[in-house]
Amino acid sequence: MKKKVIIVCCLALLFWNKATATTLRMAFDADPISLDPHEQLSEGTLQFSHLVFDPLLRWKQNGQFEHRLATKWERIDNLTMRFHLRHNVTFRTGNPFTAKDVIYTIERLKKSPDFRAMFDTIKSASMVDEYTVDVHSTYTNPLLLNIMTYVFPMDKAFYQNQDQIIKYGETFASRNVSGTGPFILTERELGSRMELKRNPNYWDTNSDGNIDKVILTPIRADSTRLAALLSGDVDFIFPVSPIDIERTKKIKGIQLVTLHSTRILLLHMNQQRRKEFQDIRVRKAINLAVNQSLIVDKILKGYAIPAGQLSPDRFLGHINNLEPEYDLTTALELMKEAGYEKGFRISMMAPNNRYMNDEKVAQAITAMLSRINITVDLKTLPKAQYFKEFDNRSADMMMLGWQSDTMDSNNLFEFIIACPDAKTGMGAYNASEYCRSYIDDDIRQANREMNPERRLRLMQQIERTLYNDAAIVPLYWQSLTWAAKDNVKIQDIVNDQNYPHIGDLFIEE
Amino acid sequence: MLIFLLRRVMQACFVMIIISLISFAIQDKLGDPVQQMVGMSVSQDERNQIRNELGLNDGFFLQYWRFAEGAIHGDLGTSYYYKEPALDVILEKLPATLELAFCSILLVILVATPCGVLAAIKPKHILSRLLMIISSIGLSVPIFIVAILMVYIFSIELNMAPSFGRGQTVEIFGLWESGLFTKDGLKHLLLPSLTLAIALMPIFVRLIRAEMMEVLQSEYIRFAWSKGLSARRIYFKHALKNTMLPVITVGGIQAGTLVAYTILTETIFQWPGMGFLFMDAVSRVDTPLVSAYLIVVGGIFVITNTFVDLIYGLVNPTVRLASHGL
Amino acid sequence: MKYIKKDLLHPTSGNRWGHIVSGFVGDKLAMLALIIFLFYCLVALLAPLVAPFDIVDPAFMDLMNAEIAPSWISGDNRFLLGTDAQGRDLLSVILYGTRLSLTIGICAVLIQVTLGICIGLMAGYLGGRIDNFLMRCADIQLSFSNMMVAIVFLAIFQSLFGMARYQQLAMVILILVIGLTEWPLFARTIRASVLAEKQKEYVDAARIMGISSKRIMFRHILPNTLSPILVIFTVQIANAIVAEAALSFLGLGMPATEPSLGSLISAGFAYMFSGSWWICVIPSVTLIILILAMNLLGDWLRDHLNPRTYKD
Repeated sequence: MKKKVIIVCCLALLFWNKATATTLRMAFDADPISLDPHEQLSEGTLQFSHLVFDPLLRWKQNGQFEHRLATKWERIDNLTMRFHLRHNVTFRTGNPFTAKDVIYTIERLKKSPDFRAMFDTIKSASMVDEYTVDVHSTYTNPLLLNIMTYVFPMDKAFYQNQDQIIKYGETFASRNVSGTGPFILTERELGSRMELKRNPNYWDTNSDGNIDKVILTPIRADSTRLAALLSGDVDFIFPVSPIDIERTKKIKGIQLVTLHSTRILLLHMNQQRRKEFQDIRVRKAINLAVNQSLIVDKILKGYAIPAGQLSPDRFLGHINNLEPEYDLTTALELMKEAGYEKGFRISMMAPNNRYMNDEKVAQAITAMLSRINITVDLKTLPKAQYFKEFDNRSADMMMLGWQSDTMDSNNLFEFIIACPDAKTGMGAYNASEYCRSYIDDDIRQANREMNPERRLRLMQQIERTLYNDAAIVPLYWQSLTWAAKDNVKIQDIVNDQNYPHIGDLFIEE
Repeated sequence: MLIFLLRRVMQACFVMIIISLISFAIQDKLGDPVQQMVGMSVSQDERNQIRNELGLNDGFFLQYWRFAEGAIHGDLGTSYYYKEPALDVILEKLPATLELAFCSILLVILVATPCGVLAAIKPKHILSRLLMIISSIGLSVPIFIVAILMVYIFSIELNMAPSFGRGQTVEIFGLWESGLFTKDGLKHLLLPSLTLAIALMPIFVRLIRAEMMEVLQSEYIRFAWSKGLSARRIYFKHALKNTMLPVITVGGIQAGTLVAYTILTETIFQWPGMGFLFMDAVSRVDTPLVSAYLIVVGGIFVITNTFVDLIYGLVNPTVRLASHGL
Repeated sequence: MKYIKKDLLHPTSGNRWGHIVSGFVGDKLAMLALIIFLFYCLVALLAPLVAPFDIVDPAFMDLMNAEIAPSWISGDNRFLLGTDAQGRDLLSVILYGTRLSLTIGICAVLIQVTLGICIGLMAGYLGGRIDNFLMRCADIQLSFSNMMVAIVFLAIFQSLFGMARYQQLAMVILILVIGLTEWPLFARTIRASVLAEKQKEYVDAARIMGISSKRIMFRHILPNTLSPILVIFTVQIANAIVAEAALSFLGLGMPATEPSLGSLISAGFAYMFSGSWWICVIPSVTLIILILAMNLLGDWLRDHLNPRTYKD
């Protein structure tokens, strides 16, 4: 009798365990500032979009596209791409998902200040039938699919007529949300907590994802975030500071996943402010004096890749044998040749809370430049103040990190290298004031070149010119590190853009 | 009397105007709020347009005038980040801060009083000497070091209490989000309040000791001894009672210290209170929120000060006379 | 942290210094505290001579040497206390940091004392409206704690000068901010002492003799109020140093390129649990010992100079 009771109890316990919802508590460094997916083009917003919306297509870890709400696409002609949409998908509100929603979303994207720049290349979208859409671009665009990963169809019937985008005020879309995504928002306390539950009608029934509830807490400080994971308050965190990685690795029950991101960090040498920088020998000397590998090794603990060029290896423009060089004697010789044997004094600015260990990297660079007799007055500022100074080009040397939205080299060139032009927005982050019109021509050409072979050559040519000209000082490509409890299988759902596909996340019981 | 009252109120208003001016003046300098609102690829023109819409390109006095006009009607601006009236946002976070402060003050009173009394009545005793040395050490260890040690010991190593946030809260009377009534909430409260208490404890132990020693020297205590009252009665009934009054007065002055320490504690433990809100707003360049915070905190100080003065004036005629002369 | 006027009152008259010295010899703890404090001062003064490395030398910061453990662990004899994340010799940085922290602390308190003495004397001696007004100011100032005011003011300064200029002026500004926020403590104490002294006959006598009130204040009353000032002075230096450390921790203090003890701690904070504990722990211990010594010294001075409360 007793045994039976015990067995029943055990079974009950087992069932009860099964019946409890699988909850994922995650802590990231930021939360989305708005529920409106088109209000800000930022990591937080896109992470959120992947939770409650679905894209037409998305990147896989291997750099290929994965079909989501679009089941098939084909090129009709040079300017048109046809997308076939998934059937039987509904929004949170119960409204069916159709071509109308896709067209509506693309039109809204073209109105959003943040996404406009990217979607300007798309002229319009037209409906072929209920589940087929044609997207027309303004000119031949090799990156159309890359851009289409930013289309997260919104519920037209839900948003229509109350869909204004205001950056600094309350709007309907910033407070209410209806998407097709794997999760439904249940509760949100801005800046401290967000709760989502599984979408019971989610179309992707093949997914391994078994999470019923997500609780997202933004934790700003690296140490607090890690402490929260170690003490078991959360299951999944991002980012982990490189400093803490070694120690975290040793802890039982915790796993770490590191991917190389495409974010490049670099230094601009302002040629308008300093005539010294107009001398290619000085620029070369600086490039030689900066020891990228040492910075990566010591300050980032190896969690980055030293860079000798802008394009990371998954981008088209990447040249395999362009490695960063470090050679102090040559650097000193070059300085001597240029007539700056005694060196000179420059100012430098860097943010202190924008990139991983940015302040420490900047400090290390000042020490490295002092070896070739360049005295650097370093100022580090919080990001809020830094980018104001960056826009004003306030220092001779400035640090910048850039992640290409289109996952393509040309985006890097357009913003960082092209001649500054306020009208077109080209070269908006070119604090070198380095300007070569033939590079601009190449950039423009690469934007329309459909032949991958020729496109590759164009972009490698730009990359090569930059290298030979020592136009900037590339530093490294940042790595992304996530940490989670062992039973949370994050390995397959994270990616180098840092939009984890939580919908497919599996937690072992 | 009426003149005295009016004078004090006018003084208070004047101070408030100065506070508002200062807090408004720093708005522009924290950074560019628009930068925080837009993505990296948005053009300068576009950003400038947003600045225009927000009125950030207007002259300083025009902007201040707009702000002051709103402030008189109780509108301290709208937070850029929360997109709600700044005042509402701050008041929403008030309960968390008050609960934290309340709990640590409670802890301080419960621990510091007996310690202080002991150190006062038996100054030569080994225990009280030890107490004084510990309190000296406590006074010497900066609060942020205490905090990180607490997290390491109690949260990571012993896994006893969570290291961040406020946990589960319940709503009382529909307007007060409280963490005091759930087990989870209390657990979350443990580390921050303990840290804050440890930071304040040495100050109060010393204060109570000093006051108590002072009182023990006084005539009436000697009289009580000579009357043959029991030691316990003298210490706890007569002496302690007279000790606590000045302690509370001085403790009141420490309110400012408390606010500053709360900012530090909340930042470290990510306690969603006013202090954390403030530091967060600063880093987000949420300027309306920053100035609203300064005005609210300044206002609280001014109001309490004014009230204390008024009450003193009512109770103590000499103050009133002196103030008449002012 | 803040001492009320009562326990600071009434110095023993007569040979004050002799009294202090004789007391010291009798109390080992106080002796120790004094020795530690003097040692710190000496080391800070002589930092450029004592430090094994020259911190302005470009070769000083070498990333190759980053995060070497103290010599008793790593066996690397070049760096006694190890190196920090930038490869700087920790001992040298700490020596210079101590120098900076002490300078900020002492200068700030000197400002407090000067302001406090002037205001306190004026308020106490002149009385009436001026007294009222000054003490009202002191009340307001005291009710906003120094940290609070410093946080706000530093934010203002940073914005006023721009972050770039601010970092050049950081030290001066820190001294000013910490100095200007805690004067009421001195002012109140002195005022109380003055009020007590004013009743005494020698002041009346001096006044009758036609000595100017300025002279009476500074030459006759002030020397008799020095004991409590000495006590607060010691404790306040400790407080000022802690305040600077806390401000640095919040990112409002000294820049990372010119570190004080506080900014060293806050920079090393991230390394606390990464295995390189010494980057944070050694400066913290340095700071704590300094503050502790100063507090003990202050305690002892108070107990010793204030016979009324230390008779039992």
